[in-house]
Amino acid sequence: MAEFFDIYMLPVFEILGKILLIVLPLLGAMAYLTYAERKVMAAMQLRQGPNMVGPFGLLQPLADGLKLFGKETIIPSASNRAIFVLAPMLTFMLALISWAVIPFDVGMVLADVNVGILYLFAVSSLGVYGILMAGWASNSRYAFLGGLRSAAQMVSYEVSIGLVIVTVILVTGSLNLTEIVMAERTWWMHLLLFPMFIVFVISALAETNRAPFDLPEGESELVGGYNVEYSSMTFALFFLGEYMNMILMSAMTVILFLGGWKVPFGLEWEWLTMVPGLIWFVLKICAVLFIFLWSRATLPRYRYDQLMRLGWKIFLPLSLLWVLVVAGALIMNDALPMPAGVEG
Amino acid sequence: MPKLTIDGIEITVEQGTSILQAAEQLGIEIPRFCYHDRLSVPANCRMCLVEVEGAPKPVASCAQPCGNDMKVLTKSPKVVKARQGVMEFLLINHPLDCPICDQGGECDLQDQSVAYGYDRSRYAENKRAVKEKYLGPLIDTHMNRCIQCTRCIRFSEELGGVESLGLIGRGEVVEIAPYVEKMIESELSGNLIDVCPVGALVSRPYEFKARPWELRKTETIDVMDAVGSNIRVDSRGNEVLRVLPRLNEEINEEWIGDKTRFAYDGLKVQRLDRPYIRDGKKLREATWEEAFALIASKLEKIDGKQIGALVGDLAAMEEIKALKDLMNAWGSPHTDCLIDGAVFDAENAGGYLFNTNIADIEKADAILLVGTNPRWEAPMINLRIRKAALANRDLPIGVIGEQLDLNYKYEYLGAGADTLTGLRKSKSAFVKALKKAKNPVVILGAGALRRKDGKAIQQAVAQIAEEFKIIKKDWNGFNMLHTAASRIGALTLGFVPGRGGYNAAKMIEETKSGKIKALYLMGADDVNFKGLSKKAFVIYQGHHGDHGAIHADVILPGAAYTEKAGVYMNVEGRAQIARQAVFPPGEAREDWKILRALSDFTGSPLPYDNLQGLRAAMVTDHPELQDINVPMKVKWKGLGVPGKILKAGFETSIKNYYQTNVISRHSVTMAECTAEASGKTNKKVAANG
Amino acid sequence: MTFLDKTARSFFLVEIVKGFWLTLKYFFKPKVTINYPFEKNAISPRFRGEHALRRYPNGEERCIACKLCEAICPALAITIEAEARDDGSRRTTRYDIDMTKCIYCGLCQEACPVDAIVEGPNFEFATETREELYYDKDKLLENGERWEAQIAANLKMDAPYR
Repeated sequence: MAEFFDIYMLPVFEILGKILLIVLPLLGAMAYLTYAERKVMAAMQLRQGPNMVGPFGLLQPLADGLKLFGKETIIPSASNRAIFVLAPMLTFMLALISWAVIPFDVGMVLADVNVGILYLFAVSSLGVYGILMAGWASNSRYAFLGGLRSAAQMVSYEVSIGLVIVTVILVTGSLNLTEIVMAERTWWMHLLLFPMFIVFVISALAETNRAPFDLPEGESELVGGYNVEYSSMTFALFFLGEYMNMILMSAMTVILFLGGWKVPFGLEWEWLTMVPGLIWFVLKICAVLFIFLWSRATLPRYRYDQLMRLGWKIFLPLSLLWVLVVAGALIMNDALPMPAGVEG
Repeated sequence: MPKLTIDGIEITVEQGTSILQAAEQLGIEIPRFCYHDRLSVPANCRMCLVEVEGAPKPVASCAQPCGNDMKVLTKSPKVVKARQGVMEFLLINHPLDCPICDQGGECDLQDQSVAYGYDRSRYAENKRAVKEKYLGPLIDTHMNRCIQCTRCIRFSEELGGVESLGLIGRGEVVEIAPYVEKMIESELSGNLIDVCPVGALVSRPYEFKARPWELRKTETIDVMDAVGSNIRVDSRGNEVLRVLPRLNEEINEEWIGDKTRFAYDGLKVQRLDRPYIRDGKKLREATWEEAFALIASKLEKIDGKQIGALVGDLAAMEEIKALKDLMNAWGSPHTDCLIDGAVFDAENAGGYLFNTNIADIEKADAILLVGTNPRWEAPMINLRIRKAALANRDLPIGVIGEQLDLNYKYEYLGAGADTLTGLRKSKSAFVKALKKAKNPVVILGAGALRRKDGKAIQQAVAQIAEEFKIIKKDWNGFNMLHTAASRIGALTLGFVPGRGGYNAAKMIEETKSGKIKALYLMGADDVNFKGLSKKAFVIYQGHHGDHGAIHADVILPGAAYTEKAGVYMNVEGRAQIARQAVFPPGEAREDWKILRALSDFTGSPLPYDNLQGLRAAMVTDHPELQDINVPMKVKWKGLGVPGKILKAGFETSIKNYYQTNVISRHSVTMAECTAEASGKTNKKVAANG
Repeated sequence: MTFLDKTARSFFLVEIVKGFWLTLKYFFKPKVTINYPFEKNAISPRFRGEHALRRYPNGEERCIACKLCEAICPALAITIEAEARDDGSRRTTRYDIDMTKCIYCGLCQEACPVDAIVEGPNFEFATETREELYYDKDKLLENGERWEAQIAANLKMDAPYR
């Protein structure tokens, strides 16, 4: 019995514990991301933002959550019930399971798979299904249009994201996220990858349906897009999923381009290196998230055709070209990383 | 025929025309306060000053006759300045009352001070204060506002014929005051309110009730007497707030009687606003369907010939026509409109119309009044007689019947038939004048015919008219004066007993014998109901719970004259269209619609569904109705030889001017006037301030 | 050259960077909004807020039922009925303002010859039901009593310019 406990139960509990350790702070982070968004937007618009619930309005996310929780869940009579209910769950779940492969520090990762980046890519591609299902199952024109837009948008920008990741992998030579972070990079590599960083961030905005690419929601034309018919907790799950995806994309950006948990700019001062990597990782994610919020406060929404043009006619050729440029540069400098056992 | 230029425009006018009138002919407006078209010219307000070339001072244009080659300027700087000066003087003692003044918004002083006045006052001293006067329950006074134009004095003396107002004091303390503080004993006193150019005399019942700009104005016809005065009903929401005269030179000029003007508050009380059905001794509220169904079930068991119908004094021609058609459909000949018991030849229109046009009375050079008191029965006709008497101080006026309190000199000839027939042999100055007269007028009161020998009296008067050449080729001086607004219309539509039909009194009587089993009263209240059997099924349709409704088994609420569109024919046979000013209260409906709906229930639907259809049917049956607003012209046919006339003296129909029909009987204002006039109260309403 | 210039501009995202820079500058600027229920802005003496019917210092109501406010009201929000009071003076028997119709244009107080109807400084009169916004004479007079000091001060301040 003890053996059974040691071999089977203990790892399960351990894994469960780890999952909770990841998910609970994430949920908190997500909640305060909404607060941060409102505060940042307010500041940029010379407003105060939430300031009534708790000191500086700090309890606002709790109040919002409570409010959403207390509301009635309305399921439209003409909708496809099962799919309608399933869609937000799927979105939320997919947003969570990506975190399995994200390394928070050296070894601080739930599943250190060596195709982590592919896993991430695959899971985030699935995210579109939640939205498509919601749009279709609502049996509402607005929701349907929102779902369609979302699908097209995600498919378009995943192409360029894929190619951007290829350039990064070319440089690092590994599909494992920890190794990607740990890989040595020279200054010219950073310079070479900088345009891809921009492309990646923009694509990430599109991938997460954030402003200026929030066409699937498009309040001014589609009322609320795919989540028009949702209310209460079903809506909250969508909401959570969206913000979770934002954090995830920020984490990916940090891992791919900003050196993960490492001290910024390769500095080696002691008081900086003393700070745990997790803190650096979180701070970097916050910085990228700020860009997300910043762009929402700055840029007006794209038109649908502009969005498609940007994705297919600019980012796709550009990132394709850049794969060649990066590969060429690496070969020229003889810096192409080789998997173990292969001669350069 | 002087020829002059006014503001550079040349005009030739009649001798004696004033500059103001000449300017008016040219369409040039000259401001005025004291001048009034129909009153004498005192020239005391000085507002109408104009500049005449050559004259040393500005000239009062209302009093200055036009002269040849005069050059008049009405807009020169001198005139403008003169007007500003006059205006400033007028406003010295005029309080800044406009916000609380009922005249505000329709005030001559207000309008003209805006148009011609100086835009500020230099007068810093105290304004004078004048004590309010008591002029009866109709007129409220605010003498501070008076500008001493004396229009009220002139109106009451000249047209009203009562010398009760005068100008007292001199200079600064001059004021208009009644010699004795009591009600103005004139049935035209309400017109003082209209002639007053400021807010010194205002209507007491209307006091502070509304502002002129918030009133809906409906031009319609009065029904308080049979003259058909043209009136304007001012209403707000669904409430009649006041009644004003409307200009019609052929009938009432710009005046109306006090009853016409002030009886409207009777429209608000004791109204029938839903159908009622008699349940044992009491009337209970019912729905239209219930009421109609009950009537239908009752009438089903009765032979059509056992139904009688009476039309009251205030009915419009539409409902009379509808009721007549309905009675025809039921097969009953028992229809009558002479509910007051008058007996006369109703077949011959010439015999019951007021053949002389009302306006033509002013031309009369001899007048004989038989059994009538025009002052109370028709103030507008009396005013014409008064004007004729004013123009001709020796106008011979003779009265047969009661001794009357008229506002002109008359010769009392006698009380009854003897005097009438005696006229032939009489050699008195009056008879001589009557025989000689070019435009003689005889007015026979319909009230005098309320007796068995009524027809004989009518015939006797007609015979004398013929003998005395009162009826000539181009002049018909034979007139009958009715008091009910519906009467001529009903007679024209033939609402009289048909072949074998009973008249009103007989109908009531026959309810005992069962020959009349159902009675339809169309607003018929002033009927002698004595002798009405309980067995008879009585339907009352009307707007007030009065004498008629008491006897009713079913009450159908109808509309009063302000609440329906209708045609009324006045004593001259002049059809005039009355318009709807407000809606009937509650469930009440327009009367002809009630009859139309009832006709469906009794299985004899009337052939018209709207007012146009009904009027078209009316005109088809009575082509004389085609001409609206013109008196009926009837060729004189003679009325035949009179029968025996009883000894008794002729009586006039109206004992109390203020209360003659259901509306005026329920009017509080009219009740106050009655009390005041009969001296029963000496209530002095506290004056403001 | 323009082509190059334009291409370079779009390639280096100049416009977008400018935009971002602007919002970032704003991020650090002081806020213009105030903490409303706790902080309040000063209001002009001419502020047109909630209506009030005033009284004379001796307690007599000022309104004389001249109906000029009713006549001028462009939203037809005012309803007045008048009658002679027992002492013979002209008074309203009904003075209603439908605050849901009112557009707060201030023409009623402009029209009033006795400064009876005024729009006071109060703007916090939200209610839970519409019915509470149908003000009658009592409510308006009560407002007048509550705000009289401030209204009188405001009127005095504005008097030289009227």
